[in-house]
Amino acid sequence: MDCQCCQKKPAHIRVCDIEANTMSEQFNVCADCWIFIKRYLFDHARPLQPTREVLQEVRQLLSSQEPKALAKLEPPGEITPVPAESLPVCPECGMTLAEFKHKGRFGCARDYEVFAAHLDPLLERIHDVTPPRHRGGRPAPAPGADERVNASRELSGLREQLRAAVAEENYELAARLRDRINELERGNLTPGANP
Amino acid sequence: MSGLAGFDCFAHPLGEWLKGSGPDSDVVISTRVRLARNVRGFPFTGRASAGQRAEVLRLCQDALHRVHLEKSVITLDLQQLGEIERDILVERHLISRELAGAEGPRGVTFGRGEMLSIMVNEEDHLRLQWIKSGFDPDRAFAAIRRVDAALDKVLPIAFSEQYGYLTACPTNVGTGMRISVMVHLPALTLLDHVEKVFKAAGRMNHAVRGLYGEGTRAFGDMYQISNQATLGRSEEDILASVKAIVPQVLEYERRMRGELYTEKRELVEDKALRALALLRSARRLSVQEMMGHLSMVRLGIDLKVITDVTMDTVNRLFILGQPSHLQAETGATLTPAEREARRAELVRGKLATATN
Repeated sequence: MDCQCCQKKPAHIRVCDIEANTMSEQFNVCADCWIFIKRYLFDHARPLQPTREVLQEVRQLLSSQEPKALAKLEPPGEITPVPAESLPVCPECGMTLAEFKHKGRFGCARDYEVFAAHLDPLLERIHDVTPPRHRGGRPAPAPGADERVNASRELSGLREQLRAAVAEENYELAARLRDRINELERGNLTPGANP
Repeated sequence: MSGLAGFDCFAHPLGEWLKGSGPDSDVVISTRVRLARNVRGFPFTGRASAGQRAEVLRLCQDALHRVHLEKSVITLDLQQLGEIERDILVERHLISRELAGAEGPRGVTFGRGEMLSIMVNEEDHLRLQWIKSGFDPDRAFAAIRRVDAALDKVLPIAFSEQYGYLTACPTNVGTGMRISVMVHLPALTLLDHVEKVFKAAGRMNHAVRGLYGEGTRAFGDMYQISNQATLGRSEEDILASVKAIVPQVLEYERRMRGELYTEKRELVEDKALRALALLRSARRLSVQEMMGHLSMVRLGIDLKVITDVTMDTVNRLFILGQPSHLQAETGATLTPAEREARRAELVRGKLATATN
């Protein structure tokens, strides 16, 4: 089966709603497009679990705004497959092991888990310590802080969607987005409700 | 001078850490403790979109306002500042060159005493630093730990049991803590022993570099000694290692100063007094020249060869004579030649005042 996104490469990844798990709720994409889709979802502050809402978003992404939305993520050009030696790839920020080795910088906190198998020799060398494990202090629990961050991530996604909705003259959607943004900004910190 | 909204850098006195009054201030200018932190749930700055950076900036500044940092702090949006204004903040050690030269939403919050400074959206979302005058790592650490603990309560921080505080660069992971001690080593430089210090520090996992951090030259015999390792050691271990290594460098420098003074007294008096005379008469001074001569004057003050200039005056000139401070004070962009003339005028003025 061809990837439903690029329609060129074979689809190896099935995106589905685990609870529903029905054929109507499935998408089949290739590994490269999946990275782009996850990047899109991440940039728009959407959760990465294949929930019903995400599926819907992926469907929209693939049908209506797909070419435009995906083009914005990376410089224009062919989507090149990730070579095997570059793997693994971080599902959150899309950083590959090869890119990390080249830049020497992580893309997000999740990279430490994703590249864990490759990290110890590097960290041992940098910090001259075996095994390279943390021995210092830790952050105190921050009650309510995660909610603020989630709301904040949602806000940044909503603002981007609002700009796009206004640009496309979709004022009905823009109004709903604006109301949700106002609600969040007033301190209603319950993220997740779709406008 | 305009542009640094709410912060007139000339009405505002220079950082307290420059006053030359802390422990071991004959050799140590300042001790800085820096902690690198990231907000959980966002990609690191280098990977974040402009929207995400703006959100991180907003979240961090909101958190900074929630916690009681100091009586009054100044918050600046670096996107709103011009190049000279950003460079002033670099020259005052309030932000890094990297943050000044970066793009996108980023900011700095600092205390009026300029001991506390918090950069947002540097390589890591948060870089907290505290600078103390002289060699004072314990107090600088205690002060910045309080800020860190207060921020912890309002901001979720990226942390793993295995690797500690997670940072964009693997060289900072773990405690995220870097202690940098700014030292003045004129005698070791004069007697060509600095290389030895570099190598010995390197063997003990500490780095020695120039005044303005990585990749900068050591102007005016000023160097920074800092810990390299941040993982596999507790904050206390890092403090202990800095407290074991830096005093050895200080003793070495003092021994060489003593040697200079007893065995080459005429040479050192000549160098220090000539440097002072030149600074008091010159009509043009480059930064390098100014810093080189100020370094000799500083040595002369310590060896009591010069008694009519204070350490504080010299420490301040090191900053006020930097290019962006000069231009901001003049209120115009100056050509290199104009800067040299203005710098010489400033130095003559300050050193003449010291005489009165």
